[in-house]
Amino acid sequence: MSDAFKARAPFAPWDRRELPGLFSVEDTARRVGNYKWTEMRLFEVLGGWVATVPELDVKLVLGRHTYHHAWHAELWHKRLPELREMNQERMTVPANDAFVAFMDSVRDPEAPELTIEKLVGVYRVLIPRLIAVYTYHLNGTSTITDAPTIRSLKFALQDEFDDWRDGEMLLQSLIDTPEKVDRAARRQQELEKLYIRSGGIAGPGSLGETAEEQGAA
Amino acid sequence: MKKMLPESELARDERFVRSKIEDRIFDPRGPKLATRNTGPAMMATDRPAAAERSRSLMHGIFVGEIQALEGAGRTCFDFDDDEAPFQLKLDMARQCWDESRHCEISIKLGDHLGTEIGEYTESTFLYAAACNPDPVMRLTGVNRALEGLAIDVFNTMREFGKESTDPVLEFCEDWMLADEVTHVKMGSDWLRRLTEKDPERRERALEFQRTVDKIFNLGGFRGEQEENPVQLARRFRELAGFTDEENDSLSKLAAESTEEARQMSELLAGNN
Repeated sequence: MSDAFKARAPFAPWDRRELPGLFSVEDTARRVGNYKWTEMRLFEVLGGWVATVPELDVKLVLGRHTYHHAWHAELWHKRLPELREMNQERMTVPANDAFVAFMDSVRDPEAPELTIEKLVGVYRVLIPRLIAVYTYHLNGTSTITDAPTIRSLKFALQDEFDDWRDGEMLLQSLIDTPEKVDRAARRQQELEKLYIRSGGIAGPGSLGETAEEQGAA
Repeated sequence: MKKMLPESELARDERFVRSKIEDRIFDPRGPKLATRNTGPAMMATDRPAAAERSRSLMHGIFVGEIQALEGAGRTCFDFDDDEAPFQLKLDMARQCWDESRHCEISIKLGDHLGTEIGEYTESTFLYAAACNPDPVMRLTGVNRALEGLAIDVFNTMREFGKESTDPVLEFCEDWMLADEVTHVKMGSDWLRRLTEKDPERRERALEFQRTVDKIFNLGGFRGEQEENPVQLARRFRELAGFTDEENDSLSKLAAESTEEARQMSELLAGNN
C-alpha cells in the first residue's frame, strides 16, 4: 500500500510548464482589449451580412459564426477585470486608427452580389490573422501565471480553425471562374495592404518584434 | 454597409417567391373557400387537408426562421455600443446561431414532410417587426411577439407530430420550442432592464407588441378556437415569462381577429 504522506514533487516529471512569459499584466490587458474590439466588430458584421447574402448555405454559416465570435468577445470581456482592468470599456479599443480603417474596409461590402468580397475579407484575411496573433500569444505567454488567458485562447483558436475551414470551403465552391479568382485575389491584396499599415490586430509587434526592431535592439 | 436594412432588400436566391400580406388577406379566392363548410381549421390528422396544411405550415416556419435569423443578425449590427448594451448584442448573436439551426431543421423537416424550398410564397412581415430603429421596440416586436408566435406554431406542430405518430416531427419541434421559450424570456428580461426607469417607453414598447401581435394573429390564424389552425400555447408562454393577464389579453385579441376575418369573408362573399 502506498504512503499517502510521502513527499512528492509539486510538478510531475511530464509537466514542463515554466514561469517566464513575454507579456506583463498590462501588455496582456492591452492585447485582450484589442482582441475583444476585433471580435465585436467581426460578430456584428457577420450578423449584419446574414440578411444581405442570397446564398442559403452562406447565410446559415454566417448565422452560426456570428455566435462564435460573440462568445470570444465575451471571453475577453470577462478576462479584462482579472487583469486589473475594472473599466472594460476603456480597454475595448482598436490597436490604432489604421486598424479601424482595415476593419471598416472588411465590413464595407453590402450588395447581394458581393458575397465573395465579404467572405474573402473574413476568411482569407482577418481570421487567418486572428489565428496567427492568438497562436503567438499562446506560445509566448507564461504557461503558469497566465493560464486563464491560455484556456480562452485555446477555445477561441479551436473555433477560428473550424470557422476558417467552413469559410474557405464556401469560397472555393463560389469561386468557379477565372474572373472570380481575380476578384477574390484583388480583394485580398487590397485588405492585406491595409492590414500591414496597421501593424496587426494588436498593432505593431502583433506577432513579436519586427526584423527592423530586432536589428535596432 | 448601411445601418437598418429595409425588408425589400432581404437577399434571397431564385427559388424564393415573395408575396405581400395584403395579397393573402384580400385573395379573391378566400371568400369562396370560406363559404365551403370544411369543418374546423385546427391542425388535426383526421382532416383531409392535414398533410397539405402541415407542408404549408412547415414552409412558413422555414421562411419565418430565416427572417428571425436576419432580424437577430441586424440587431447585432444596426446599433452602436451606446444604443444597445454589449450583453444584449451577445444574446442576439446567440439567437442567430439558434435561428440558423432552426432553418436547418425546418429544411430537413420540409423534406421529411414532402415539400421543398419555394413551393409556397414568402411574405416578409415577420422581418418588418425587426426593422424598428428603437432597440427596445425591436426586442419587444421580435422576441416577444414574433418568438411568442413561434412558441404557438411549434407547439401546434409538436402536437400534430404526436397525434400523427411522427416521432421525427415531434422530436424536432420539441427542441425548437425549447429555444423559442429561451428567446421570449430573453426579450422579456431585456424589456424590463432597458425600461426600468422609463415606464412610458415600456408602455410604448408593449403597445408596439400588441400591434405586432394583432398582425401575427393573421385574421384567425392563431387563437384558442377550433377554427384557428395555430393554437395559443399558454403553458409554454408562461414558462417564457408571459403573465396570465398577457395571455388572456392576447387570446381576446386573437378572438377579435378571428371574428373580423369571419365578417370580412361574409361581406366579400355577399359581394360576389
